Amino acid sequence: MSTHTRPLIHIVDDDDSMRMALIELLKTTGFDAIGYGSTGEFLLNSLPDRHGCILLDIQLPGPSGLELQAALLRKDVALPIIFLTGHADVSSSVRAMKAGAIDFLEKPVARETLLEALERALASDIARRNTVEAARRRQERLDLLTPREQAVFERVISGMLNKQIAMDLGISLRTVKAHRAQMMQKLGASTPAELGLIAGKSVESDEG
Amino acid sequence: MPRLSLRWGNCRRSSRSTRRGASRWAPALLLMHLAAAAEAGQVLVLYPNSRLLISNVALDSGLRQTIHANSREPVRVFSEFLDEPEFGGDQYELTMATYLRDKYADRPLDAVLIVGDTALRFILRYRDRLFPGVPVVHAGVTREMLQSMPTLAPDVVGVPVTYDFAGTVKQALKWHPRATHLVIVFGASRQDDWESLVRPEIDAILGHVRAEYLVGLTMPALQKRLRELGSDSVVLTWPMFRDGDGRSYMLTESAALVAAASSAPVYAPVDTLMGTGVVGGRVLSYEQIGRQAGQILTRLLSRQPDWQRMPQAPASVLQVDWRQIKRWEIDPEQIPSDAIVSFRPPALWQAYRNAVLGAVTIIVLLSTLIALLLLERLRRRTAEIAMQKQHTALAHASRLAVAGELTAAIAHEINQPLGAVQTNADTAEVILQAGGDRREDLLRLVGRIRNDNLRASQVIKRLRALLARQEARRQPLDLNAVLTDVEAFLRPELQRRDISIALKPVKTPARILGDETQIQQVLINLILNAMDALVEAPLDRRSILVQIDCAAGTHSVSVKDQGRGFADGDLSKLFDSFFSTKRTGMGLGLSIARTIVVAHGGTIRAERGPSGGAIFHVELPAHEASENAA
Repeated sequence: MSTHTRPLIHIVDDDDSMRMALIELLKTTGFDAIGYGSTGEFLLNSLPDRHGCILLDIQLPGPSGLELQAALLRKDVALPIIFLTGHADVSSSVRAMKAGAIDFLEKPVARETLLEALERALASDIARRNTVEAARRRQERLDLLTPREQAVFERVISGMLNKQIAMDLGISLRTVKAHRAQMMQKLGASTPAELGLIAGKSVESDEG
Repeated sequence: MPRLSLRWGNCRRSSRSTRRGASRWAPALLLMHLAAAAEAGQVLVLYPNSRLLISNVALDSGLRQTIHANSREPVRVFSEFLDEPEFGGDQYELTMATYLRDKYADRPLDAVLIVGDTALRFILRYRDRLFPGVPVVHAGVTREMLQSMPTLAPDVVGVPVTYDFAGTVKQALKWHPRATHLVIVFGASRQDDWESLVRPEIDAILGHVRAEYLVGLTMPALQKRLRELGSDSVVLTWPMFRDGDGRSYMLTESAALVAAASSAPVYAPVDTLMGTGVVGGRVLSYEQIGRQAGQILTRLLSRQPDWQRMPQAPASVLQVDWRQIKRWEIDPEQIPSDAIVSFRPPALWQAYRNAVLGAVTIIVLLSTLIALLLLERLRRRTAEIAMQKQHTALAHASRLAVAGELTAAIAHEINQPLGAVQTNADTAEVILQAGGDRREDLLRLVGRIRNDNLRASQVIKRLRALLARQEARRQPLDLNAVLTDVEAFLRPELQRRDISIALKPVKTPARILGDETQIQQVLINLILNAMDALVEAPLDRRSILVQIDCAAGTHSVSVKDQGRGFADGDLSKLFDSFFSTKRTGMGLGLSIARTIVVAHGGTIRAERGPSGGAIFHVELPAHEASENAA
């Protein structure tokens, strides 16, 4: 998580007055906001890793908002996107939502509607960020395991019994148990189910 | 019929023998007799005075009618005029004689008809040298004249005439019943000695009327006496040759002086004095004289043995001058119906019945034609107005279609400022709800709201201007400015379609005289066409170039795209109504563009671009006045 307390909203709209009005509104309602006049301008700016979302106009000079959405997906920029359009046609809204847009709003948009959409988008951003954070922490712990402990871990979460692991790895059952205890301690898990959580999947537990 | 081919002066072969062609070698005499039987007779009529005198025309008419009615063979009648009294004297007569000799050298005459005393005197003097042996018929020669001459040759015949002095006096006294005084005026010369001749004749009819003879007075004395006459007087006169002073007068001259001086009506029994101011008199009918002469000539030409037998002398007829009838207040009812009335302004209907009928018919026809043409013009005008209305309607419909095509872009154009307004209002609300002193922020927001509102209304205004159905209004325009407006109008649509546009205006104003909306419409149509042509074009070709050029007297706009262009065969049909290469096109855009451009006195044409695509050129006449002013 960033140190900033206020979420940062990226506004991509070619209409100067619309863009400035949105910035003004968002700043007034407790957000930080940056405006971009085109998709190109947005892409040229390096994005700070901050909690926030993108308010994106569909009709833009040059590449459209939908094309920017596709480009961001390819680049793994996962900021949630709210589309804001002068005139919403079904095909582009479907396309936008399929590609993961949070919402598809039509201008002029009422403040409540916009703020609700922003809330959803920011919640989504938080959830995404939490997921990413958990995965990162898990990985940190996994990185503490020795190769032998790693091998035992993989087999435990794939549901193998100690005997099977011993056979598989060509080591004694006692050695397997020692590695397993060590691994469990490093990962802070007491049951195989907890291991599954760390691995991101559920594990059939058959023994203690 | 006796015809002698002897000629005075140079003796020529008769032209008649040449006319006979093949028979020219035959013996001359025989030929002549044959000719006389088979050929037309030729007659020369010699008048003493002017060609235009009514008397001559009347005589000629009677003569020709009679001859043509009675002759089996066609008769040629030549007419000559001695033009007395304007011309006269020995030298003149000699000139005339020479002229007639030369003129008729090749026209052997069968007879000569002379009219009047002077002509008779002339012919008797020159006959042997002019027309030797040709019989002479005279007409209108006075008995008195004949009596004063030596006996005429047997082949000079005619009916002498007698002037009706007594009849004239009788008529005058009838019209002026209160007259008790008859004044008779004669000249002083030998030719003027009529008194002894007419006195017995007149005395016989005078009754209670007293006769006063003014013979041989000087003109001043005569005129003085005539001025003194009262309303009980009537004057009778005769052409005077010489007065008491020995002054000579031309035929009508003395009568004019007499009539001018006289305070009483003047009469004369001779028609040549008509028009000099005399009331009139019983004169000889020249038509009748002509008929008699015609009868004599007919007999002569057909060699009737009794051709020298003369008919009775013609009776006199009453002839009056209408103006004098009016002047002396003679009751027109009292003019006998057989009188010849001269100088009466003819009643239109009487004189020109056929002409009037014809004129009326023509006027009616022309009026009808004009009415029809006017009606036709009205119809055409109505049709033109209807057509103009239709054009306006069509142009309007086309603009509506354009607007329809641009709906998305226009909606966007209006929506943007509306969205901004909404957002700014929201912001202001938030600020106000939060409380605290943020006046400056609020003012800024209100300012922005106002600007965006203005922006939206301008879009609507532009749209309304384009869509308004208004009458064409010519005003000076700068093509550069029109182009800039059009570009602003189309910009959203261009953006929507991802097409770039490049404008190349000229530095100086390109002034034309035109209707702004219509000229805008032309440019919009052309640019929209270009945009439509670019629908499937790759990105690097999605551009339109609009260029303005100024040449002498002409400003032109060209719209160039690199789209799909058009086929050669379509070039001639491009500007036709309802022709479209687009699937959804109405085929009106270019047709209307051309209608507008032509109405502005310009031209529009299309060509294929050098690297594909199309170029449209619009040329409009420069607005000179402002160019000069600039």
